[in-house]
Amino acid sequence: MAEFNPTILAFCCNWCSYAGADLAGVGRLQMPPNIHVIRVMCSASVKPEYVLKAISGGVDGVLVLGCHIGDCHYMTGNHRTAKRMPLVQKVLKEVGIDERRLRLDWVSASEGEKFQKVVTEFVGEIKNLGPNPMRGVKW
Amino acid sequence: MVNDLGKKLARLAFEERGADFLLVMREEHGNVAPAMVSKGEDVGVVRLEVPYQLVTILENIYPWISKGKIAVITRRCDEKALAELAKRKYVDDKRIIKIGLACTEEQIERCRCEDPVPSHVDVGEPHAGVKGDELSARLAKMSQKDRLAFWVDQYKKCNKCFGCTLTCPVCFCDDDCVLEERTFVAEPSIPPGLSFHMVRSYHMIDKCIECGECERACPAEIPLLTMRKLLAKDMKEVFKFAPGDEKTVSPLNTTLEGELMEDECNER
Repeated sequence: MAEFNPTILAFCCNWCSYAGADLAGVGRLQMPPNIHVIRVMCSASVKPEYVLKAISGGVDGVLVLGCHIGDCHYMTGNHRTAKRMPLVQKVLKEVGIDERRLRLDWVSASEGEKFQKVVTEFVGEIKNLGPNPMRGVKW
Repeated sequence: MVNDLGKKLARLAFEERGADFLLVMREEHGNVAPAMVSKGEDVGVVRLEVPYQLVTILENIYPWISKGKIAVITRRCDEKALAELAKRKYVDDKRIIKIGLACTEEQIERCRCEDPVPSHVDVGEPHAGVKGDELSARLAKMSQKDRLAFWVDQYKKCNKCFGCTLTCPVCFCDDDCVLEERTFVAEPSIPPGLSFHMVRSYHMIDKCIECGECERACPAEIPLLTMRKLLAKDMKEVFKFAPGDEKTVSPLNTTLEGELMEDECNER
């Protein structure tokens, strides 16, 4: 059987994590090619709806990356994300989807290496979890 | 024709508590429907055994009633719903007079309600709440895979009637409901898929007062109340917050240090 290649969405905030991802690219850091980066203005603009829709649509994992707490370009945007995402994980857990399929992390613009680390770890974790069970469900 | 209950309620509301309107469930021509009675008007045959959240009706008609005090029959869950609505400034608490109604044992049993006694009982006999829910205990024992299979099976019965959102007393986004948008829920699809139910679960997580109205309204008999109860437990675990108290603010509307932010519901 072919190796499982997860599809992963990474929401990166414009001011920190997207720049961090850029830095990782410029620095030619090696990381798995499974992630699809979506650039958002702030991690708080990642509505829980997006995450839930993605996962119920069969995406294997969702990574939400924002600025470190206190560094948000919009002052309290990432506070909102920090409060939302644990609850979204609970919603997933209660329905019966592994809550590890959603991860929230903070990557600043200068942390190219952290971006590489987070992505490599997350892809590894999702590979262990296997494909999203929602992929096989016909509605 | 006025029944004894109607007389009692009219006396309580208009004479003792100075209300201008009274919102009750009234029987007319053999049908029971919500009715708004103004002061001096005939109250009619009031029925209380119909388990309907009058707060949902109150919330809908409130913008059209610009002055006067409204008396409404409130169960414990109605009180909590009013607190949630007042907190978000959908209603003015000072204009609402609560007439406490204690639920019957049968109703408590059906809602698996832990906290059924209103702060002030005017009508009915107070009964103690019941602990635990048979289905949530069963779900807790299931493996993750079985749990998903169970919920997918349940949610497949959904025919997207929006009964759960329409009857919900704390579902107040009106015309802007994301569930009616095709971005998150594909328009022609029935059943609507898992995202519909997960998005609704998330929206209810800091508001649901566990009245069970969604479950009663559901024609497909999806155990929606069980899902709400499970998530309420998680909410308590993560943020030590339970909805239904006017003095507390939802953790989703504060920063990590506890400072106020704009209400998440107003953000689009």
